Amino acid sequence: MLLLSRRKGCRVVARNTVVRRTLSFYWLMLSPALLFLLAFLVVPFIMLIVLSFREVDSLLNVLPSYSLKNYTEIFTSASYLTTIRSTLGVAALTTVIVIIAAYPAAYLLVRTGSKGLRTFFYILLISPLLTSVVIRTFAWIVIMAQNGLLNEALLKLHLIDKPLSLLWSMKAVVIAYVQVMLPFAVLPIATSMGEIQPKLRQASMSLGAGRIRTFFKVTFPLTLPGLLSGAAIVFSLAAGSYITPLLVGGRLQPLLPLSIYQQAVQVFNMPFAAALSMTLLVLVAIVVGLISWISKRWEARLHD
Amino acid sequence: MSGIHIDDVSRQFGDFTALEEVQLQVREGEFFSLLGPSGCGKTTLLNLIAGFLDPTRGRIMIGGKDVTGLPPYRRGLGIVFQDYALFPHLSVFDNVAYGLRIRKQPKKEIKRRVEEMLALVQLSSMADRRPHQLSGGQRQRVAIARALAIEPSVLLLDEPLSNLDAKLRKAMQTELRTIQRRTGVTTVLVTHDQEEALSLSDRIGILGHGRLQQVGTPLEVYRRPANRFVADFIGQVNLIQTAVAAERSTGRNRHAAIDYEIAAGVPLLLETTGSAEGSGLYMIRPERIKIALTAGNSGEANRAPGVISHVGYAGDQVRLHVQLAGKGELQVVASDPLFPVLPSAGDRCELYWDAEDVIALPPEGV
Repeated sequence: MLLLSRRKGCRVVARNTVVRRTLSFYWLMLSPALLFLLAFLVVPFIMLIVLSFREVDSLLNVLPSYSLKNYTEIFTSASYLTTIRSTLGVAALTTVIVIIAAYPAAYLLVRTGSKGLRTFFYILLISPLLTSVVIRTFAWIVIMAQNGLLNEALLKLHLIDKPLSLLWSMKAVVIAYVQVMLPFAVLPIATSMGEIQPKLRQASMSLGAGRIRTFFKVTFPLTLPGLLSGAAIVFSLAAGSYITPLLVGGRLQPLLPLSIYQQAVQVFNMPFAAALSMTLLVLVAIVVGLISWISKRWEARLHD
Repeated sequence: MSGIHIDDVSRQFGDFTALEEVQLQVREGEFFSLLGPSGCGKTTLLNLIAGFLDPTRGRIMIGGKDVTGLPPYRRGLGIVFQDYALFPHLSVFDNVAYGLRIRKQPKKEIKRRVEEMLALVQLSSMADRRPHQLSGGQRQRVAIARALAIEPSVLLLDEPLSNLDAKLRKAMQTELRTIQRRTGVTTVLVTHDQEEALSLSDRIGILGHGRLQQVGTPLEVYRRPANRFVADFIGQVNLIQTAVAAERSTGRNRHAAIDYEIAAGVPLLLETTGSAEGSGLYMIRPERIKIALTAGNSGEANRAPGVISHVGYAGDQVRLHVQLAGKGELQVVASDPLFPVLPSAGDRCELYWDAEDVIALPPEGV
């Protein structure tokens, strides 16, 4: 008996050692990535926070003192408040349009019976992500310019007398955003749509609901988690993108990323750029936090 | 309430014929079961009635109205699915109210009807729960309440009890039948469980290989199977393929006395009802064969000596395999009280049976 329990004890100890050893092995494996993140994300981020509270002298040299001056300037200046408003507005508008456009695409991906065709659609959807955002956005310039494809076509068809000015506007920014960000919404929506039992749609139809009502009463509520995670990604990308608005909207559009670039690279007021960055970050964090809170509530409703 | 008339319906999937020339009449208020092994086409037939599939050929009428080609949401049927298919984002109340809300009924009427339905399935106290907070049996009952709430002309049940454990299934069977009697709704149950079909239905349609093999009351399909498929599928059966050795007319009730061999070299005299001219396929249910452990005193016309080769004790009954002199083997089911002491393999015995318990089946390929 004694022998048995002692042997058992030995085994427990041995197992603990093994667990500890595997754990430390995992940490070892993770450490390069963690060090990298620490050095190039956490540290600069803290530096950015600190920098945003610094002041500058008239020659834009950073002073050692701290104040809230940068933030008070952002939140009291009419032009920065407009910028904030239009940044969030454009991001929200883009998100809504992308979500609406994503549903038919997700539906197509999920309902395509042939496996080959479905793979083809997936490739079609993902392939733009394989090229740089600069190239994708540049394509829009080719299409929307004064002498671009769209204007040429409309002129040839005698639908317009003189070329429309499509580029260098918020409209162009939103159009380009929608195209660039569509896959980020289609994929999560398609995933949650694929998880819906087909029987649920049949049940809805047997109870008298046509396709459209079945969509709004069954498919839509059940794809809400996918929609919300897609919305969170699209919103944060649309609020924080810099290249797309610069190329199709022009550098004068009232958007926070463009202002940050201006302050950091052209004006060279680093503390102010840092404060603008923090403002953008916090605003996006609030919106994304709100979205994931709604998502959690909804998931809890379904499963808890 | 209305009957279903399936008129010469076929359905093909590419080259595969899932259903062929099905002709079926389900009467108003009837509890009808579609029974068959998996892949027999019973689910296809259900989907055709429901409108999830369209027939390749033929017509489907519900309540005298041709519904062929009508989408499922215009058919007004109640469907209970195998995995219940309750809406996970809606409460029990909202699930049951779903069809009524689609029909834009007044709020008060919806509330009254939902409460009535939940009372019918004894779930009144669960109205605010969500489907995932219910047990399998409770979900099943919500699904039934939801289907019945819209006062469907026909209730379709797609293997509704197959996900429940044996005990609960028995309880739900009784409940299902009670609910059906109380509402009087024409009901079509799709199942592969013969016991379920036999005990619940007014009539059963047996499907096999995409064809309707037989339609009849539970008694008819069990006692007088139309062909080998039905005989084999429902219950246990001894199928006897014989060569007709000689046929003599006895003149009595036009019975034919047929000499046939139950196994090579073992001729048996049998009196069979019906015309089995030239046919050599017979069946007899194991529980219709009587067994005597002492030979020679049964006094029956149809008897055969044999040796017990296997004894299976199942409590209420004893299953025996009896090797007849020669090669033939018959399965026998005897009730437990028959044997003071269980026989064992190797014991001699004599089997005998009534002539009318031997059923002639049409030859294969018909």
